[in-house]
Amino acid sequence: MPPQSSTALPLSPAELSYLHTSLSFDPPIRPDGRTATQFRPLIAETDVLPSANGSARICFADGTEAVVGVKCEVERSASDRSILRSKEDDVRRLGTGGGDEEMRDESSGGEDDEVGNGSKGREEGRNEWVEMAIEIPGYRDDDALPVFLSAMITEALISDGELKNRLYINRRFHWRLYIDILLLSSPLSYPLPLLSLTTHLALLRTRLPALVSEKDEDPHFNDDWEAATLLYPQSDQRTTRPPVTLLVMSVGDNIIFDPSKDELAVADAVLTVSIGQTPSSGIRLLSVRTVDPPSRLTAPGVSNSTNSANGDTAPSMQEALMLRETMDEHSLWRPPRGGMKRALAGRMIKMVVEKGGVGEEVLEGLEGVDK
Amino acid sequence: MPLDTSSYALAHLRLDGRRWNELRRLHAQTSTQAAADGSSYLEMGNTKVICTVAGPAESRKGGGGGGNAEAKIEVEIGIAGFSGVERKRRGKGDKRTSEMRHTIASAFSANLFAHLYPHSTITVNLHVLSQDGSLLAACLNATTLALIDAGIPMSDYIVACTAGSTASYASNDEDADPLLDLNGLEEQELPFLTVGTLGAGEKVSVLIMETRMQMTRLEAMLAAGVDGCRQIRSILDGVVRAHGKAVLDSAIS
Repeated sequence: MPPQSSTALPLSPAELSYLHTSLSFDPPIRPDGRTATQFRPLIAETDVLPSANGSARICFADGTEAVVGVKCEVERSASDRSILRSKEDDVRRLGTGGGDEEMRDESSGGEDDEVGNGSKGREEGRNEWVEMAIEIPGYRDDDALPVFLSAMITEALISDGELKNRLYINRRFHWRLYIDILLLSSPLSYPLPLLSLTTHLALLRTRLPALVSEKDEDPHFNDDWEAATLLYPQSDQRTTRPPVTLLVMSVGDNIIFDPSKDELAVADAVLTVSIGQTPSSGIRLLSVRTVDPPSRLTAPGVSNSTNSANGDTAPSMQEALMLRETMDEHSLWRPPRGGMKRALAGRMIKMVVEKGGVGEEVLEGLEGVDK
Repeated sequence: MPLDTSSYALAHLRLDGRRWNELRRLHAQTSTQAAADGSSYLEMGNTKVICTVAGPAESRKGGGGGGNAEAKIEVEIGIAGFSGVERKRRGKGDKRTSEMRHTIASAFSANLFAHLYPHSTITVNLHVLSQDGSLLAACLNATTLALIDAGIPMSDYIVACTAGSTASYASNDEDADPLLDLNGLEEQELPFLTVGTLGAGEKVSVLIMETRMQMTRLEAMLAAGVDGCRQIRSILDGVVRAHGKAVLDSAIS
């Protein structure tokens, strides 16, 4: 394997300007010849870890690789609430105040359980039962990148509010879901879409042992792994699928999906769009986040007229400033300034969420893995 | 007890059906990751390790503090939370992990032709996907393969395996057999050592033992371990040659 420098060479202003110009054409000309909505081929496999409840591995075309393992363990619920539950009225009167919303949920759920009200008899879960850890080689656990990525992926996971309910066993016990994400190669490009796709695939194949005990007794499970149930049951039309986060960028008026590292370097704006899917009601938008494009960190090019190496005298500060502001933007690379137009953001989201759009394509592709 | 006296004494078979001198299934692949300079994937039984190598590359601290005449080898080990039966998150500063890292780094510093790459750093990243005994041995073997894949010259393979003894207490058990390649259950109960040799001969370059046992058993265990290393070297060599042949065939055709 030819040695590659671990710190990638920064692109020169000429290269940046060339990339930016070719991506602003209609249709955009991408360095590898893809269309604007075409994704790079990837390798995906599931159930790679026999000792985990669910696992997946995805390799992108640029060589980056990620493995996700999902493990579930039975944990005792904070059983103090079972004491409170015997006096449900007192709990309500104790006035847990407006603050602790989850305690109210638990108590109301428990109370309904006992009374047997059909409509609100759902077993409530808690979001803390999902724990995620991301390992990126070369980064410590408290560096900014792993922390942000973990927060973004967890936020999308618990946003539909249903995952935690499926972790409920009975009032005394629940499942604790541990998601361990390993990025196996150093992050050559922004790793969020890779990690999100791999997590989605791992969760899609995660199975929980079948519960054999009843009601509130100590949980016992069927020893037969074949009887295990999927965490995201496929037959149930109402359950949402695990979410997926896509990276979308814009250059001028063009919207480009699955950007490579070079394309991100000249992006005008970058969004991460998280979507979930219910088979019955289609794609749902879960969250949208802006990402500071790496192009902002690139130094602007210096034109010949302001470059003192040409032999002329260097212009003064004011002259240089004026020249820079009034210069034609297509002749020289300058980092993008300002935000993005709202209509453009709207179009980007629409392209992901609409029927037959990019989001559906990605989710269908993932569902077809290993089938 | 992994060595239930009844079954072992009667048939001399361990719990997984192996005899005392049989290795577990060893599966290895090189060049598993396109983005790394060198990479490998190794399975010893259920212990699965991925290794990636980056380098030799320029030292980040500009000269490496004092102008090293040869390359520095840095090892990072990441033990995944899902690798054991119970999910357990291990920090990077863990004592056992630090000791493993130091062992691997010093073993290869002595073996690689590092004088060819002054002022540079070779970074080895190990990811443990599943643990079932022989962790240090698997890491050493995977690192050897990945370094070969990265094209870093070395004098010979460093191959490692574990060896243990059936006598778990200080008993005067004369028939105590040495055991080769212990799995996870056996490692918890029996004394064992990890031995790494340089090539197929008897040059021991790594020897780590953390459990206690009688001195008299040491020689037999060591002999069994060195013999196991010889077998492993021929398997790994086969893997490297097969990969090389595949590369050459695809280049010529």
